Amino acid sequence: MAIRVNPKLIDELEVYGAEDVQNCYHCGNCSAVCPFSKEPYIFPRRPMRYLQMGLEDKLKGSLEPWLCYYCGQCSEECPRGAEPGETMMSLRRWLTSKYDFTGISRAFYKSGKVELFTVIGAALLTALGFVLWAVLRGGDINSYDGPNAFLPAASIHIFDWALAGVLLALLLTNCGRMWWFTLGRDKQLRTPFWLYLKKLYLLPLHFVTQKRFATCERKRPWAVHLALVVSYLIMLVLIMFFLDLMWSGPEIDWRVHVFGYIATVGLLGTTIFALRARLKKAEPLYAHSHETDWIFLILLIFAAFTGILQHILHRVGFDAAANVTYIVHLMGVVPMLGLEVPFSKWSHLAYRPLAMYFSAIRAEAKERAEKEAVEPTLAAQPVA
Amino acid sequence: MRTGVFIVQANEEGLEGVNLHAVELYAANLPHVEKVRNLGVRPRLDPLALAEEIKASGLERVVIAGDSPGFFKPVFTRAMALAGADTDEVRLASFREHGATGMGTPRAESIVACAVYGVPFPLAARPGTTATVPGTLIIGGGVAGIQAALEIADAGKPVYLVERQPTIGGHMAMFDKTFPTLDCAACILTPKMVAVGQHEMIDLMTYSEVEDISGSPGHYKVRVRKKARHVDIEACVACNTCSEVCPRSASSEFDSGIAARKAIYIPFPQAVPNAYVLDEASCLYFESGGEKCGVCAKKCPKECIDLTEKDQIVEFEVGNVVIATGYDVYDATKIERYGYGKFPNVITALEFERITNASGPTGGKIVTKVLRHNKRKKVDEWVLDPEGPPPNRVAIIHCVGSRDAQHNPYCSRVCCMYSLKFAHLVREKLPEATCYEFYIDMRAFGKGYEEFAERIQAEGTYVVRGRTARIVEENGQMVLKGEDIVQDRMVDMPVDLVILAVGLVPARGSDRLAAMLGIARDEDGWFSELDYNSDPTDTERGGVFVAGACQAPKDIPDTVAQASAVAAGVLKSVNTGRGLDSRADLSLSEIEARARSLARV
Ligand SMILES: Cc1cc2nc3c(=O)[nH]c(=O)nc-3n(C[C@H](O)[C@H](O)[C@H](O)COP(=O)(O)OP(=O)(O)OC[C@H]3O[C@@H](n4cnc5c(N)ncnc54)[C@H](O)[C@@H]3O)c2cc1C
Ligand code: SF4
Ligand code: SF4
Repeated sequence: MAIRVNPKLIDELEVYGAEDVQNCYHCGNCSAVCPFSKEPYIFPRRPMRYLQMGLEDKLKGSLEPWLCYYCGQCSEECPRGAEPGETMMSLRRWLTSKYDFTGISRAFYKSGKVELFTVIGAALLTALGFVLWAVLRGGDINSYDGPNAFLPAASIHIFDWALAGVLLALLLTNCGRMWWFTLGRDKQLRTPFWLYLKKLYLLPLHFVTQKRFATCERKRPWAVHLALVVSYLIMLVLIMFFLDLMWSGPEIDWRVHVFGYIATVGLLGTTIFALRARLKKAEPLYAHSHETDWIFLILLIFAAFTGILQHILHRVGFDAAANVTYIVHLMGVVPMLGLEVPFSKWSHLAYRPLAMYFSAIRAEAKERAEKEAVEPTLAAQPVA
Repeated sequence: MRTGVFIVQANEEGLEGVNLHAVELYAANLPHVEKVRNLGVRPRLDPLALAEEIKASGLERVVIAGDSPGFFKPVFTRAMALAGADTDEVRLASFREHGATGMGTPRAESIVACAVYGVPFPLAARPGTTATVPGTLIIGGGVAGIQAALEIADAGKPVYLVERQPTIGGHMAMFDKTFPTLDCAACILTPKMVAVGQHEMIDLMTYSEVEDISGSPGHYKVRVRKKARHVDIEACVACNTCSEVCPRSASSEFDSGIAARKAIYIPFPQAVPNAYVLDEASCLYFESGGEKCGVCAKKCPKECIDLTEKDQIVEFEVGNVVIATGYDVYDATKIERYGYGKFPNVITALEFERITNASGPTGGKIVTKVLRHNKRKKVDEWVLDPEGPPPNRVAIIHCVGSRDAQHNPYCSRVCCMYSLKFAHLVREKLPEATCYEFYIDMRAFGKGYEEFAERIQAEGTYVVRGRTARIVEENGQMVLKGEDIVQDRMVDMPVDLVILAVGLVPARGSDRLAAMLGIARDEDGWFSELDYNSDPTDTERGGVFVAGACQAPKDIPDTVAQASAVAAGVLKSVNTGRGLDSRADLSLSEIEARARSLARV
């Protein structure tokens, strides 16, 4: 099979954040210190090599970047300052843009400005839409819930489900493309259907526990990440299934609100931690920040703060202010979910568990094929 | 000739002490310079765009100035061709090559001026000559110092050889075999050492250090401190009686610390001068302020031990100075992940040299250390016992401390080759053992070296591409972790002996010497030569030469060649009575004027 080489690939990766790939001289230190690098997925050195050689297709089909959690040990021990950890991060961004068929992701990663303007545009559109809709249907700005509510919970609920449906469709399409690049189009690999079933349990397992991340020597990033994921999930469940209970008031409904509080603390705490760490470049993971990372964090913190504010305003009886704040809140949440989930950083919530799932399938398929074929060669053969 | 000056930088920091902005301004004021542009750090240049620029300014000559401007010569040559200009008029102003490191902005400016005038820098910056007295001081008695001393002394000229160890020989004296010929190191070196010891033209001062050098080229006043040796070199017959009775021991420097010596000792039996030395730091007599012991002095049959001897200062004048201070090896404890100092059977290359040396502590047997109970100290110790177990699996790790942004950026040049030599020695002495070399790139650069590398591989040494990441202990067994990048496998291998191919660093005290002599060192600490290509043995200071590994890591053949070249330079000045003056003293305007007259502008 002919292999296409893209000599510009290494330059293209620069906008995604990988700047020092060329420094690598392939000593293999990084792969050996990486707690995740296990046969048959040896990284980060191998992807560094692919990049240097411009093997775009190989990279597009590789799962390795998703198996890396950026604990940063590789970058710390790299004798050449080639920043293998950052390269893996950039590859994740690059892959995200490759999985995305709309090209929006690519535009975001290539230019922070484009993303920023899109986010602002989406926010304004959201505000405009909701205000228009509320005014047209004769909602009362002074009423937060009940029949006259400016924005009735039931309608918001429908909107949420509609948005979720669109996002899911986009994300699933991208996931489908990921499958095609990494497993589907590989004709040499025989992956029977039962293998997919056999490994299916891995998907929810990794999604919920993030347990691979815990393999890192440093436990803090994993703990922070887990807290973020759990908080986010709680919030998602509350909003998608219990919005009306959340909405009612002004009394606090402890059955749902207590979870809301826990999730808010989790979201806010982890976001502030991440912001501080990025500013201080505290750990390798936080040392290099792409523009998209900042936008993501700012949106998150914006959504959390406005969410808290509208909650308080509603509880203390300032319904008009609560309504306005809620719209502002939506101005943060809608772009955050609508743009980040399918096209940017948040998509990794799907890609990572998927990669874990695919990689297990791939590894087993390969192993079976190898068993059928020849004896494996020994490591370190003498040159005779 | 309409000239454009383009400045390139190899890194953000630029060369130490060179103000690039000042250089730009200076260049802009030189005659015929139409354009000066700083292209920044490692620029990516487009020949078409450059050609446009060249055409637009009507340039007939371009000067690429900077750290290593040669990198950009091809793209500029292409651009000149595209612009229809003379491609021979791409001139380089190489700061590094012509010693701007340490010499500051004026030097960089004069290098640019010469390039702008189209005159080779060494030609314009040739210093004048000065009257020179015949004596030569050589600092350092390794193979470089020995070779230079013999060449000069054999020509009948006086030499003062100052060595800070009690014996001459340097590192080479510690080796068993030398690559790539696998000759016996001692067989080559010992006769030369003896010749130095006996030479009537060589005043050998061992256990001595140069304290001060003053004066000017051709007339250097030298003050040397001869440390009290407490043993009369002439009278000592090396009978070993004193060592036998001495109650004190310390670790042997010559055996790189893997064996002990007494407080009064001889580094090795072939030492030159062949006499014992009393080390005050480990001696009981000195520790007790003269109260205790002193038994060696009483027992010495020749009565040549003088416990009251004091340091001696000697002063003399020389015309030339040769620096031949060699190197030290990189401190392996700085690289924690290899576990040196933690695992007893992780050793450095110099330690291995001593283990495999027939005159070393194990009599040349390659063994691993074993845990023994020391009854006197009541502790368990790892000891090197000649009867100890030989290793089954030996791993040699290349580039330890070299080619590493976190340690030394440079290649130490000899480690690949000596590692292959080690593999050969292991396989020769322990045919049952497996030997692995973990390398990044195999640098077999010299005559017969590639063939040597091939031969070692053919002997059955496993050569694995991929530097080891770490040594760990798993269930009491040392395990080596790394990646085999050719086989695309992770390496996770139990090993019994790990040899670290430590890199070379400038000898301790080089900074002091450089300051004393007023010569520069490069960013890695090696002494800077006058001109990388055309004067690799001279320095900025007239009458001061560099030989051997102190100028840059090098192997023995190169060291010896450079030492002989130095001797030629020294003899030229001694024979004519006139030597070169210091280039360091030439001012910018002098060099510029000279370049101008040579170029006739
Ligand atoms: C483990 C190992 C194995 C090697 N094997 C080989 C080989 O097989 N073949 C080969 O070609 N090369 C080999 N080399 C390289 C070889 O050792 C060097 O090329 C050679 O020793 C350089 O000689 P030198 O005289 O310049 O330096 P050195 O041998 O280092 O001698 C310098 C001398 O100067 C003295 N000195 C230093 N500072 C002062 C001072 N301030 N005042 C007075 N005296 C001072 C030192 O005590 C020393 O005696 C090996 C190197 C290593 C580390
Ligand atoms: S540690 Fe650095 S130089 Fe070595 S293989 Fe990894 S990225 Fe390349
Ligand atoms: S005087 Fe010092 S050197 Fe002599 S025997 Fe005693 S301890 Fe050893």
